[in-house]
Amino acid sequence: MFPADFAYARAGSLAGALAQLDAAATAGDNVKVLAGGQSLLPMMKLRLATPATLLDIGDLAELKDIAADGGQLRIGALATYRDLQRDPRITAGFPAIADALTVLADPQVRARGTVGGALAHGDPAADLPPVLLALNARVTIASRAGTRTVALEDFLRGVFSTDLADDELVTAVTVPAAPAGQAYEKFAHPASHLPLAGACTVIEVQGKAITGTRVAVTGIAPRAFRIDLPQRDLASRSVSALRAELADGDSAGGPELDAMLAGALEAAMAAAGAEPLADQHASGPFRVHLAAVMARRALARALSRADAPAGADE
Amino acid sequence: MPDVDVDVDVTVNGVPRRARVPARTLLVHFLRDNLRLTGTHVGCDTTQCGACTVALDGVAVKSCTVLAAQASGHEVTTIESLAPDLAEITARGGTLAAAGSRAAGREPPASPEPVSLHPVQRAFWRHHGLQCGYCTPGMVMMIRQLLADNPDPTDAEVRHALAGNICRCTGYQNIVAAALDAAAELRGA
Repeated sequence: MFPADFAYARAGSLAGALAQLDAAATAGDNVKVLAGGQSLLPMMKLRLATPATLLDIGDLAELKDIAADGGQLRIGALATYRDLQRDPRITAGFPAIADALTVLADPQVRARGTVGGALAHGDPAADLPPVLLALNARVTIASRAGTRTVALEDFLRGVFSTDLADDELVTAVTVPAAPAGQAYEKFAHPASHLPLAGACTVIEVQGKAITGTRVAVTGIAPRAFRIDLPQRDLASRSVSALRAELADGDSAGGPELDAMLAGALEAAMAAAGAEPLADQHASGPFRVHLAAVMARRALARALSRADAPAGADE
Repeated sequence: MPDVDVDVDVTVNGVPRRARVPARTLLVHFLRDNLRLTGTHVGCDTTQCGACTVALDGVAVKSCTVLAAQASGHEVTTIESLAPDLAEITARGGTLAAAGSRAAGREPPASPEPVSLHPVQRAFWRHHGLQCGYCTPGMVMMIRQLLADNPDPTDAEVRHALAGNICRCTGYQNIVAAALDAAAELRGA
């Protein structure tokens, strides 16, 4: 099994790559950018993608850097999942990203797959987009005309669809400093390892009170999306009360809490006019149910990591 | 029609190799068909089974999901390089056990364990870490990567590291035992 014929070009510099994309966009040529290739090459082998030209940016060292700036992290688009997994700034500062990397594909794929490639690909069942959405990440995009930055929320559009124009490249993802209470949970398809549903929760805590919650889910709609939890409902619970409510895992967790999460999910999907994804692996309603369960598990794990003194409000 | 061929200039097992191939040539086919290094297997061909695992610039990857063109200018290590004497001897028609004793420069030992094998390969031999053997090259290459990253893995860590390697004989128990034993040997434990 191999791809349809294509012409191959390797970019020697970012400026060169942008010039080539600019020329191709002007001429209307069917060019695809190749980074790690762990999503694109399988699609090409199945002839689901048949670009006339591949522009390989894999050797552009300037896009591989991971740089800390205060608590904020700027991740070069060509940083691989393996690079992130081996970076203590990720594992210590962003445990939700570390969670996702642990369950994302397999070690060989993580050695090639890149952060920028994953975002530009726009797969509705990818692991990193919900995590980066919940972490308020921003995407830096370059073209020959210049550089722009867009919130990931506005970058993701739909199934394999993003805000990226034909003459543009993702060059970096910036993740602002985030509270310690964060986690990602997914229900994986056993063969593909892709999430049938996945959820990331980031929780902000002050003293014994929950002051903010950000939840994003993947795998159930044309794009990863954020859901708004009724803050009043969460704020009425103290951290330790919620911890206690979630302590027994799936056997408990509270029907009330499950109903709240499922309701918030359905409201977010209705507001976006999104139909749940459905295929031979899982129906739409089952995916939505799974997403609510994953959100609850992520909430429990995020709470266990949150900077709140245990038993502070007994 | 634009040119769909590409020059591939790659170092494989320390030897510079060059060929002009269609750009769509996958690294695994380049290794097997152009270089006749058939130790790297094609299993699922869909990035799932790991039989095609090789090291690219020292890191284990699935060579069915890398273009030969992407490897140009880089270094590839295949299963053949782990026991180079053995590869040379078996290519001349010698046997595995004979190869082991010849590499050690002595008469065939009472135990047939081939001494010239890589520690991971020897551990597979001791634990019978294979049944049909089809997945074995990929398993060995991935375990080699695991032990480079984590010299003292737990049973669970070995299994997690092998998430991308499928044994359809389902002989995982002995594969995991071999990995743990090889880890101990390499640590000098």
